[in-house]
Amino acid sequence: MIEEIQRHSEALAPRFDGYRRRALAIGLIGIAATVFGYLTDHQQFFESYLLGFTYWVCMPVGCLGVLMIHHLGGGRWGFAIRRMLEAGASTMPVMFILGLPILAGMHDLFPWTHTEAVANDEVLTHKLPYLNSTFFIIRYVAYFAIWTAMAMLLTRWSVQQDQTQETWPTRRMQILSGPGIVLLSLLGTFAGTDWLMSLEPHWFSTIFCAIYILGMALMTWAFMTLVGVPLSKHQPLDVLLTNERLRDLGTMMLGFVMLWAYTSFSQLLIIWSGNLPEEITWYYTRLQGGWLYLGYALIGFHFAVPFLLLLSSRVKSHLRILIVVASGLMFMRLVDLYWITAPAFRDHDGGVLQSVALTPHWLDLAAPIGLGGIWVFFFFGQLKKRPLVPSNDPRFDYGALAAEAQEHGHHG
Amino acid sequence: MPEATERRPYDQPTEELGPGQTSYTSITDKITSVVLTPHTPIQWFIVVAIGLCFVGLLQIAIAYLLYEGVGIWGLNVPVGWGFAIINFVWWIGIGHAGTLISAVLLLFRQKWRTSINRSAEAMTIFAVLCAGMFPVLHTGRPWLALYWLFPYPNSMAIWPQFRSPLIWDVFAVGTYLTVSLLFWGVGLIPDFATYRDKARNLLTKRIFGFLSLGWRGSAIHWERYEMASLILAGLSTPLVLSVHSVVSFDFAVSIIPGWHTTIFPPYFVAGAIYAGFAMVLTLMLPLRALYGLHDFITDRHLDNMGKVMLVAGMIVGYGYFMEQFMAWYSASIYENFLMDNRMFGPYGGSYWALLTCNIFVPQLLWSKRVRTSPYLIFMVSMFINVGMWLERFIIVVGSMHRDYMPSSWDMYSGTIWDWALYLGTMGFFLLAFFLFVRAWPLIAIHEIRTLLPTGKKH
Repeated sequence: MIEEIQRHSEALAPRFDGYRRRALAIGLIGIAATVFGYLTDHQQFFESYLLGFTYWVCMPVGCLGVLMIHHLGGGRWGFAIRRMLEAGASTMPVMFILGLPILAGMHDLFPWTHTEAVANDEVLTHKLPYLNSTFFIIRYVAYFAIWTAMAMLLTRWSVQQDQTQETWPTRRMQILSGPGIVLLSLLGTFAGTDWLMSLEPHWFSTIFCAIYILGMALMTWAFMTLVGVPLSKHQPLDVLLTNERLRDLGTMMLGFVMLWAYTSFSQLLIIWSGNLPEEITWYYTRLQGGWLYLGYALIGFHFAVPFLLLLSSRVKSHLRILIVVASGLMFMRLVDLYWITAPAFRDHDGGVLQSVALTPHWLDLAAPIGLGGIWVFFFFGQLKKRPLVPSNDPRFDYGALAAEAQEHGHHG
Repeated sequence: MPEATERRPYDQPTEELGPGQTSYTSITDKITSVVLTPHTPIQWFIVVAIGLCFVGLLQIAIAYLLYEGVGIWGLNVPVGWGFAIINFVWWIGIGHAGTLISAVLLLFRQKWRTSINRSAEAMTIFAVLCAGMFPVLHTGRPWLALYWLFPYPNSMAIWPQFRSPLIWDVFAVGTYLTVSLLFWGVGLIPDFATYRDKARNLLTKRIFGFLSLGWRGSAIHWERYEMASLILAGLSTPLVLSVHSVVSFDFAVSIIPGWHTTIFPPYFVAGAIYAGFAMVLTLMLPLRALYGLHDFITDRHLDNMGKVMLVAGMIVGYGYFMEQFMAWYSASIYENFLMDNRMFGPYGGSYWALLTCNIFVPQLLWSKRVRTSPYLIFMVSMFINVGMWLERFIIVVGSMHRDYMPSSWDMYSGTIWDWALYLGTMGFFLLAFFLFVRAWPLIAIHEIRTLLPTGKKH
């Protein structure tokens, strides 16, 4: 059984190598362009780089979170994509290294790093115990250390589960995942505060980081769909990633699209109604000129269109539509983060209401593409390492499933 | 493909149906016997008697309120909203578990919901009725409430303030009650027909015959029934989120520190589910003991409900944490004062009691032994019932008693009439629920039959 899965998984290696070559090529071109951007306009470079980083870091963290939810809740969709989630979570160290330029560019990105400005600003002085360069770096290291440790443990136990009939690896994965998901939410909250909210250090919102975390999960479901659909046509995942399971992924995307819209709308409504100067400034710049149209685009393509498409189970069962929706959502996540980050850099005076022009820079695409290429390269590297289907999970019987599929004749 | 590997027993969930129920007949007999019998357990009479006493109290409290006015309550300036809104939110929240169990779990194909959905839906409806009493009575002249609350074209061109979440509440709660009633009613039809067929007494036969709307159980009936259930489940699902979100907007769209915070909608929804499951357990566990329903409400149910409470409780805890963290992070003197006052001010004790009830004690739910022990999980549920009331007390009174202007600061406490009304609604709830248990099918017979091994194949 295990040998069979192993054999089928290894047969897919050339395909993964193909993906990796392409991803690496795209990644290197993107990185080269980004480096060129650094030489020409280093302020813009850091801004775009932060966008790329806060976008792609969602993948390993989101994979880790969804993996833990799977360990806690079970469900067949989880077995079908577990190795992909593990591969995603295992790329954590790569993301750690890719994020280091942010630390180098702190002074260009975060107004609270300017000692003089902080000294003259009561609010920023109050926040100094949290928002200071040293603690920011310590936190950055701590997030990745804990995330990496949890990802490594879950992956290691998963490999051990493949090799033994004992149930202890399963039990350990479940035991870690309970407190793990609590820890993950807290770290995600602090990370969102650090990397996104503190770009405008006067602004605050209690739901903001939850929206970012939900976005991570949404992006994970979309990416799983993009990788899962082509893999569903090959052994060993063909019996697991049936059309029903792929539709489940669509349902998950629907759920998180709704949660994203619900939380984003709540934040807007509450801040708009309160209309307090320290809060509304954040929306003021984002609901003016070109930014407003970008906001409309978010309503349309981050919510309305995918919502309506995913609502119908008939539409969801067309794999091509599912792919289009998933790609669209991947792109809209980037647009959402652009809408969150970019206006922040146009308003460094803090608290001063001003409209700023929407002026996209080519680096805003080059940096995410470069980082994405590198990340995808490492993702498939990890995916290649282990058989695509976990064995010996006591909650799940692959052999019986495969036998059943063969019996019904819709094999391969 | 190779041979199927031997499955090892691991974490085998207890069945949704206990070992005592082996056939369609045993299920039908067991559930119908609660209603179609001249024998009623003495405990039922005791509970109903207690309920009736408190309903009497409720009537006195309402009568005196209408005679004297809302001045008999403990309201003052600055605490213009007291028990009425606290209890409204508390009751509305409790209702959410019923909707979650019957609608969301149906869409997620969770089989274990079948034995508890009917009574949880009944609980929802009675809880919403209790909740509705408070805002209507708070108007002081309830016979004019419809005139004030419902927008209708009139010659004076006077409309309610559509930007006020209080008017959104009218629509949200109204929709919620309507859809819940429909969902409950549709589900009851096939069981009414079973009762009609089982009843010996002619009058009982007639009553259930009327209620079953001519149900004959033909294939087309079942097809339409399934369709209607799915549509109603689809309609109810967004209501789980929307109703309590709108309730949270009552507070959050204002600019009062402690109310105006963006995490409120999801945090209120999680709190509602939390309180609702605690109330389901508070009702189910005594009922299970009273009528010997251990085959229908098994350890599996307790375990699952315990898990739902744990998750909802963690989200509520995240809300508390974010309020604290962002109050500090905001660097706003008002937010900082509020949090300081919340912890160490005159109502500080309630805050620590709240944390104990809602956060510390429920951590016991991490243990499977606690989740499956009826006594322990009942105890935890009672803590949550109290904790969720305290949460609303902290939000309402704790945020208002210290106004922006220190000269208007004042303390608040419920008067005897506040308590009488609150206890009165509890009596109403208890009475309504136990009347329902005695007279109507408290478990969906036709649904629970599908859990039998013979039913599962199809």
